[in-house]
Amino acid sequence: MSLPTLRAGSALWLLRHELRLYVFRMGGKQAKRRGPSVATLIVMGLALLGLHAFAWTILPALGGELDTRAPPLVIGVTLLFALAFSMMLSQGLKASIEVLFERGDLDLLLSSPLPSRSIFIVRLAANVIGTASLYLFLLAPFANVGLLIGQPRWLAIYPTVLGAAAVAASLSMLLTLGLVRLIGIRRTRVAAQVLGALVGALFFLLSQVYANSAGAMQRRLAGWMGEHMAPGAALGPDSLVWLPGRAVLGELAPQLGIAALGLAAFFLTANFTHGFFVRGVQQAVSLVRNAAPPRNGVRYRFGRGLSRTVMLKEWRLIARDPQLISQVLLQLLYMLPLCFMLVFKGKTMVPGLGASLTFLCTSLTTALAWLMIAAEDAPDLLRAAPAAPSTVARAKLAAAVLPALLLVAAPLAWVGWRQPLSALLLGVCVTGATVAAALVVRWCARPAARSDFRSRGKGNFLSHFFELGVSMAWTGLSWILLALAQPGQVSIWLAVGGAVLFTLLFVLMAVAWSRRPAYA
Amino acid sequence: MDDFTHHALPALRLRGLRKEFGRPAVDGLDLTVQRGELYALLGPNGAGKTTTLRMVAGLLAPDAGSIEVLGVDMVGDAGRAKQAIAYLPDEPMLYAKLKPTEYLEFVAGLWGVEAGVAEERARRLLDWLDLSKHAHELTEGFSRGMKQKLALAGALIHEPQLLILDEPLTGLDAAAARQVKDLLVEHTSKGGTVLLTTHILEVAERMAQRIGIIQHGKLIAQGTLDELRGQSGTAMGSGAGATLEDIFLQLTGQP
Repeated sequence: MSLPTLRAGSALWLLRHELRLYVFRMGGKQAKRRGPSVATLIVMGLALLGLHAFAWTILPALGGELDTRAPPLVIGVTLLFALAFSMMLSQGLKASIEVLFERGDLDLLLSSPLPSRSIFIVRLAANVIGTASLYLFLLAPFANVGLLIGQPRWLAIYPTVLGAAAVAASLSMLLTLGLVRLIGIRRTRVAAQVLGALVGALFFLLSQVYANSAGAMQRRLAGWMGEHMAPGAALGPDSLVWLPGRAVLGELAPQLGIAALGLAAFFLTANFTHGFFVRGVQQAVSLVRNAAPPRNGVRYRFGRGLSRTVMLKEWRLIARDPQLISQVLLQLLYMLPLCFMLVFKGKTMVPGLGASLTFLCTSLTTALAWLMIAAEDAPDLLRAAPAAPSTVARAKLAAAVLPALLLVAAPLAWVGWRQPLSALLLGVCVTGATVAAALVVRWCARPAARSDFRSRGKGNFLSHFFELGVSMAWTGLSWILLALAQPGQVSIWLAVGGAVLFTLLFVLMAVAWSRRPAYA
Repeated sequence: MDDFTHHALPALRLRGLRKEFGRPAVDGLDLTVQRGELYALLGPNGAGKTTTLRMVAGLLAPDAGSIEVLGVDMVGDAGRAKQAIAYLPDEPMLYAKLKPTEYLEFVAGLWGVEAGVAEERARRLLDWLDLSKHAHELTEGFSRGMKQKLALAGALIHEPQLLILDEPLTGLDAAAARQVKDLLVEHTSKGGTVLLTTHILEVAERMAQRIGIIQHGKLIAQGTLDELRGQSGTAMGSGAGATLEDIFLQLTGQP
């Protein structure tokens, strides 16, 4: 590489090292060459070209002059900005957790004579660049094309995106470190993770709440907005709230404001917290919790039988990993609005509720099955044991399926109280779906480490495809079966749809089965 | 099987064992370990030692050849063959989120050890390995040596006939290493069998009844220390006082 030679040990040299690692990581773990593959690079290049072409067609149509204070435009752009910023914040929180907990080479860096301040600045800068890169990728074409066709104000995209990313990265680092101080390092990991996911999902959840709230509520909100956004009111066109929107649309002063804010946030964070960051890191390393010994001496519970021993072990491993639990539950969180909508709004709500419950349960089971089967910590121990592999596998499947069935018990009782037949059908569907989901994981998932839980879809595309296909097929099937069970709902099309889905499910399961590894 | 034939059978018999990973890792290995014997398998890095042990433990299926554990075929009747074996790899097979007691319960469950027997053994093993005061803690906070000792307790809870150990002394402090060495000697004196690999030649020299040297997946020499001295002496002309290190380096052709 013909990069300019930087003095070894300088902050810029370290930043180059970080960015190189960032590029290498883009390739994923299984890839043969480090860094993105040629195919990925080609796709990215084509996407960039396409975005430029898109900008080329759309920018002239917008015209040279925009009224950057026109309410609908500035509100829309500001909302988009807020959405992007919340995503940046979420990503920043994720990156801060990684810096603090999945530290990798931090010990090496901190043991070197480099000042810890530059290490911290570089980590933060790498976070900023990593956070900004996606948005720059998507938006920079507009800036470039704008410059070409004589609308230079679109260049505002660069400082605005970088400034916002700097604010987001600094803010999330401050938040994470603040959490460490407040609730201790161990709980911070889970808390920051949940916070990051919530912030990322905030807009989705809010939009769902808005869409699902009653009409009167929506009208009141619209009235309130109209009142406060009139010229001269608190949220009027001149209000600071819309500043980001105006910056994106090319007004110079707000642009400079955001860029300055980003710079200030960055350096203030770096200056004031690097000491605590370093101490926090040391704390994270050396902290091992030791529970007090039990008062009555150690108890043993031998002789539970093989299946129960295996199931108990699986549940213990998951129950003692709050981080995993939070990740699994967060997945379910995204689906909750769906359930609310069905419960409070839908007229023919049982089919919809049943379908979403089926989907929810399959997701949960897939996640648990992956953790129990693919992410087994000591596969060699199980294989070296004389215990029948089929017994162990069955126990693991049961351990993965049972929590979802437990979860569905209450709603099932609620349905059964009103419509016994529907409850029966729903019970069959949920059981079938969860067992199918666990089986697909057993047949298709490949051994992996527990810590890869969040990126498990990336490494094994086919497994992911089967998991999704089976879960969708069961979801559709349960909707159709429950719809058929409603009085006066029998229709030939529903029956045909059901038959198609059933066939699809059968084919998917058969193909998944044919891909099972020799040891399963 | 009557008692006589049972005693006449070797603890382990490998015939023509072969395994390829692109290139041959184990290449036609013949090896017999008698009951009550401590057999040390030596070899340079990448010689096929770990692959051999993993096949013997039933973790890898051989491409060709046979493995008999106390007369039971590992491929044909894996369950019965594994019942008599404990395998202890250099990376201990543990669960970070389990406590030692729960780990032992799990392993005892896998080997189907009867509850009363298992509890008595578990208490004795944890006491002996100095782990009793950590019995209520999660394994993730353990030091490397403690993890190794817990894995050893797991290996011993079903009282295996044949102990298979891959670099058993890695990461142990002097006291723990002494404990393990004493245990291995005691195990063989009671009629048990040990097959181990080690890079610490001094351990093999002092403890092993027989030593096998493996290179490129083949057994290039085996026997007692004296027999090995003889073999290398005739080959290279070196004297009778040679250490195992001298012999090993000569036989494997390393400077």
